[in-house]
Amino acid sequence: MTYVKNRLRRTMMFVPGNNPAMIKDAGIYGADSIMLDLEDSVSLTEKDAARLLVYEAIKTVDFGGAEVVVRVNGQDTPFYDEDVKAMVKAGVDVIRLPKTESAAMIQKLVKDVEKWEAEFGIEKGSIGVMAAIESAKGVLHAPEIAESTPLMMGLAVSGEDYTADMHTKRYPDGRELEFARNMVLQAARAADVYAFDTVFSNMKDTEGFYRETNYIHELGYDGKSLVNPRQIAMVNKVFNPSKEEIEEAQNVEAAIAEAKAKGSGVISMNGKMVDKPVVEKATRVLETAKASNLIDEEGNYIGE
Amino acid sequence: MERVVDLHLTDNATRKKWQSFLEQLDLHNFSEREVESIDHTIGLIDEDGKLVATGSTSGNVLKYLGVCNKDAVQGQRFNQIVTALQQYLFSEKIFHFFVFTKKKYSQSFQHLNFRELAATDQAAFLESGMPGIDDYLESLPQDPSQKDKRIAAVVMNANPFTLGHRYLVETASKENDIVYVFVVKTDASLFSAHERIRLVKDGLSDLDNVCVVSSQDYQVSKATFPAYFLKSPDDLIKEQTAIDALVFKNWLAPKLNITSRYLGQEPFSKTTERYNESLIKILEPKIKVKVLNRLTEDDKIITATEVRKLIKNNDLAGIEELVPATTFNFIKVHLTELQTRIKKGKQINGN
Amino acid sequence: MEIKTIGVAGTLESSDIQIMISKGTNGVEIDLDSDVKKAYGDQINHVITETLNKYGIEDAKVKATDKGALDCVIKARTLAAAQRATETQDKPDLEVL
Repeated sequence: MTYVKNRLRRTMMFVPGNNPAMIKDAGIYGADSIMLDLEDSVSLTEKDAARLLVYEAIKTVDFGGAEVVVRVNGQDTPFYDEDVKAMVKAGVDVIRLPKTESAAMIQKLVKDVEKWEAEFGIEKGSIGVMAAIESAKGVLHAPEIAESTPLMMGLAVSGEDYTADMHTKRYPDGRELEFARNMVLQAARAADVYAFDTVFSNMKDTEGFYRETNYIHELGYDGKSLVNPRQIAMVNKVFNPSKEEIEEAQNVEAAIAEAKAKGSGVISMNGKMVDKPVVEKATRVLETAKASNLIDEEGNYIGE
Repeated sequence: MERVVDLHLTDNATRKKWQSFLEQLDLHNFSEREVESIDHTIGLIDEDGKLVATGSTSGNVLKYLGVCNKDAVQGQRFNQIVTALQQYLFSEKIFHFFVFTKKKYSQSFQHLNFRELAATDQAAFLESGMPGIDDYLESLPQDPSQKDKRIAAVVMNANPFTLGHRYLVETASKENDIVYVFVVKTDASLFSAHERIRLVKDGLSDLDNVCVVSSQDYQVSKATFPAYFLKSPDDLIKEQTAIDALVFKNWLAPKLNITSRYLGQEPFSKTTERYNESLIKILEPKIKVKVLNRLTEDDKIITATEVRKLIKNNDLAGIEELVPATTFNFIKVHLTELQTRIKKGKQINGN
Repeated sequence: MEIKTIGVAGTLESSDIQIMISKGTNGVEIDLDSDVKKAYGDQINHVITETLNKYGIEDAKVKATDKGALDCVIKARTLAAAQRATETQDKPDLEVL
């Protein structure tokens, strides 16, 4: 497994790192990314055992093509060093740093990763990093964090800790997260990295989950963190492009092909030049449509 | 996701919730004696914050396990709660532990690699972890020609070792080739387990064919046997005796080739009398039970209870008549300390 | 590697295996409890023994309670228990992985 900067990341499913049953089945639900957790879901006395379990699992378990992310323990804990070392050796795709508050913290992580890559003879740059933003300080520093390294995969808002830091809590309408969500998203877009929304943990409130997912999709988030596999299909449904969007994207793709065939560096459609964001959007739309089985191999629309 | 949480029974609301949950599951004895012995209690909370399982530990014994299986995969919550209790015990460096439970739950524990040591119609006694009963049995000293010897056993609390105990062992020693004296381990007595075994050894050191060993946790004291899952206090004595007798008969006796057991007669304590009766019922005919009359001093039966009373009353002369010189010397040197222990609340009644 | 204390890792929950290790004198002696002992007992014992040997433990008493663990879980739990028994969990030796 090697880190790929750009790929589909609508769903990032949290899996407790000391739970073999959940790790074993993690790959069967079709999550785009699986985040194996060594931090909050593992009690202090089990940190060593969870690290070994996650290590062995990354080496042998079939995660169904999902990207494998590991949330290590924070840099202020005695577990961080061994966590990073073991995950580098295991060959994880991405390491997620909790409680990120500065570019320096990410740069330290990258340095540590590179040290172990060299030690274990792994090619430099094989592992990406991502930052969990969980405090006011982290939110205000989101721009420098997003730009701290070329290996940055993305930023994730972590609502529980952030709202506690802000002297509030999670509310159904999400107004308490408004600033953080926008700030983190702006920072991610400006740095050309991914942005992930926080988890929604009340499994009984389906309506609330759809409301929140629709909202962050509208804002422009790439994906959402999840705690329950049942939420994967729900997120995918929200992120599915419409028939019109797909057709538009297919037109862009055709224009690109045409330009290529002509050997022209300029892509044009309907007499206008097609610029980079439009091309990228088209790629994203078609990738999503394929992943959700909305078009067949020939590109025919087969959604409802 | 269901979560495991600590339950602090000192908090009244928590205690109430915990107790009513267990009462629904048909556990009814919540006497102070029983509840106060609990070291640690955990609960399993479902997604709505409702208590769906609980368990406690008291020393190396799992207690007050209760699981509601409504809306759950059979056995899942039970496994989760036992795992969590074990993890607590491991963190306390306790790697070997026991459970007394209703007979019908024995199978569930065996499914988690607990080993049933004894079972009656009502109750079962199981152990898990390391070292286990096999390791204990291996550790007991044996004679090279053990199989051909006449071997007897005495089980005692010896709190402290008296001339009465001495008489019992001496008689067995004369009538047998080897005598094992098992000293019960519990630390709920005035004299600590360590002191008791030392006084027994010192008081019998002149008898060459006597071997004094700790019974570890394999002969249960009344203090550790939980009553809450039994229907009545009468059942408690009956079940505890039966479990004890069965462990002795099924594990200790065969391993050491023990063919007889010596008991002191008990004319006053109804409890001990019933204990003896029940012991005879289970051990005979495989193991011969010999009940000896108690040794008397001035027409008064010598008991450890009497000795403890005399300690409290500062009557050294009275004590000297009831115990061997070894025990007497120990009491003389440690009299103030023993009296302090009594003042601090160590029970001197009972045995 | 010297076993200093009893080491245990893993849970009794589905897909896991609980491994308890203590000092031994006679090779790796395993007391295995598993619903699939008949079919997979040898394989489970093999993974445990091999993992311990790799960690430098030749003699140990092992009590294993299997709840349907995959090989990678057996390996991870055995290693965690071995680290705890040898009191090396703070500076684990990743070379054996």
